[in-house]
Amino acid sequence: MVRIFKYIFFISIGLSVLVGLFLPHEHVNFWWEKIPAFDAIFGFVGCVLIVLVSKALGHHWLQRDEDYYDD
Amino acid sequence: MTINAIPPAFIFIAGGLLLPFLKVRRFKQMLQLLIPVIAFIDLLYMGQGTYWTCHFLGYELVLGRVDKLSLCFGYAFVIIAFIGMVYALHVKEDGQHVAAFLYIGSTLGVVFAGDLFTLYVFWEIMAVASVFLIWYRKDRKALDAGFRYIMVHIFGGCCLLAGIIIHIADTGSIYFNLIDLNGPGSKLILLGFIINAAVPPFHAWLSDAYPEGTITGSIFLAAFTTKSAVYVLLRGFPGAEVLIWLGAIMAVYGVVFAVIENDMRRLLSYHIISQVGYMVAGVGLGTELAINGAAALAITNILYKSLMFMAVGAIIYETGKRRLSDLRGCDLYRKMPITLVMYMIGGLAISAVPLLNGFVSKPMVVAAVGLEHRAIIHLMLHLASIGTFLSVGLKLPYGAWFGKRPDGKKEEIKDVKEPPLNMLIAMGLIAFACILTGICPHILYRILPFDVNYLPYTAHHVIGAVQLLLMTAAAFWFYIDKLGPKPVITVDTDWFYRIPGRLFLSFCNKPLNKFRSDVQGLFSKERAFVASLSKNPFTIPAVLAESMKLKMTSAGNHERKEEISGRLNKLKSIAYNENRYRISIGWSVMVCIGFVSVFAFIFFYL
Repeated sequence: MVRIFKYIFFISIGLSVLVGLFLPHEHVNFWWEKIPAFDAIFGFVGCVLIVLVSKALGHHWLQRDEDYYDD
Repeated sequence: MTINAIPPAFIFIAGGLLLPFLKVRRFKQMLQLLIPVIAFIDLLYMGQGTYWTCHFLGYELVLGRVDKLSLCFGYAFVIIAFIGMVYALHVKEDGQHVAAFLYIGSTLGVVFAGDLFTLYVFWEIMAVASVFLIWYRKDRKALDAGFRYIMVHIFGGCCLLAGIIIHIADTGSIYFNLIDLNGPGSKLILLGFIINAAVPPFHAWLSDAYPEGTITGSIFLAAFTTKSAVYVLLRGFPGAEVLIWLGAIMAVYGVVFAVIENDMRRLLSYHIISQVGYMVAGVGLGTELAINGAAALAITNILYKSLMFMAVGAIIYETGKRRLSDLRGCDLYRKMPITLVMYMIGGLAISAVPLLNGFVSKPMVVAAVGLEHRAIIHLMLHLASIGTFLSVGLKLPYGAWFGKRPDGKKEEIKDVKEPPLNMLIAMGLIAFACILTGICPHILYRILPFDVNYLPYTAHHVIGAVQLLLMTAAAFWFYIDKLGPKPVITVDTDWFYRIPGRLFLSFCNKPLNKFRSDVQGLFSKERAFVASLSKNPFTIPAVLAESMKLKMTSAGNHERKEEISGRLNKLKSIAYNENRYRISIGWSVMVCIGFVSVFAFIFFYL
């Protein structure tokens, strides 16, 4: 079951990137929107960035024991 | 026909106050559902224009300024009021419903207020009514969080009132419309608004209080306060540059905290901050597309955010567990699959998955930012979209329904099933609305403030969104172990009033209180002395003389001291006896005449 789900997942990623490459260009506002499969790259890199940054912030600074505010 | 409509605020407030007087439970429930329905019909009958004006202290108050902007928020609030009431139908405490109705009514009062005074009055009722939705949870944490919540809102209300007074003194008008951001008055009004919109660093009241609310009360909390703040910002400060940056910072800030949060409703609360960030950024841009986007996002967000709070509330209702770390190993996907499906519709909608309503609203704001060529803001909002899907679309549902314990053991929980029917119906209604407005966006676009020229379903938009979401999911898969919930809490800017506030309190309790008791002790000694003197005025000179002698006697001279204090006690023990000191009338008359003569001399000659 999980294996089928995995296959579907990877196929759909490949498919969406492939379709994106062949779409006619729309008007773009920023230069990076012309990079092929920019949204896919940004999605992955952005997600990794958020995970790492927020985990680091939490671990080193923001997270405390649950009774931190208790007297 | 339009004249016959009455202010929707009054329908909710009057209906809410009527509720406790009904004795039969079925009638109560009918009234709960009837009030929003009547209010909705009322809204449909209200044509655009200005209604219900009255004169007060030389100013004209407007209770009904009806235009497209106020109407679209009005529709959303009344619809969610109805669905929220369906969700809360099983709650037997009248007080909760009364608080909710007052809260909804005052929010509608804010939305239709045409002047600043009316706005302020409803603004304050909103704060007071909503805090009861937190306090009704009736545990220590809720009580404390409620107090912190109300204090922040009182501070915000004071800023707003001060700003309004300065603004009226400057401009002479209490009409509420576009406010120029110059001078202290307008800045204080803006501060009052952004405190309610939960803009960092004034946001911590939200993530502090909303998770502590009652299960049903949190639905209303999540929908009303922040979104009414977005409305007043849209009305008063469209195009204020500072809001663009504040909004973008909010959007990212909220998701960063949401990603590391463990308490489910606190996670969703952080995510409200992130979503309101998009709206605030839209307000700051102030273009037609941005304002439409902010309004559309507010409306759709009211729907899917409530849906998510409802689903999570259902878990808390059934299991009593509110932390993801406590739900590990519970295998809720076997026991509450319908709730999972409902949650996922909300979670995918908020992540702007095509065919759901987030896809037709959020990208409007992002597109408006793109059209203004604001590169950094654009990237920040894009990043927040990723964080949205990561935190509420993947992390929360995975942790709550599929979470595994590190040791692989199962948590045995008994009697957990799908929530009561009314909760399921409420979730179903919103899920339907999310899908309907996602597939037929023109239903939503028709009620927006400006005509909409935005096409959501272009090939680029759809493929871009699909790529972004799929790759976010891929990265989540990659880090799935790292993102496991931990039983910790996150410190936020509420630290500044919780820890130093506690220091301030202990300063008041110890040194300051000691100073007070010292001063009081000093004066109470003097007072006691004067009181003892006044027992017998005739012995005052003798008592004073003896007291002086006692003070002047050196400490070592015990015999003399005892002698004097003996005499002093004797003098003090002489009670006043009028017969003893009686004098003849002649003397009294002479004293009176003497006094009158002195007074006459002063009066006539000086």
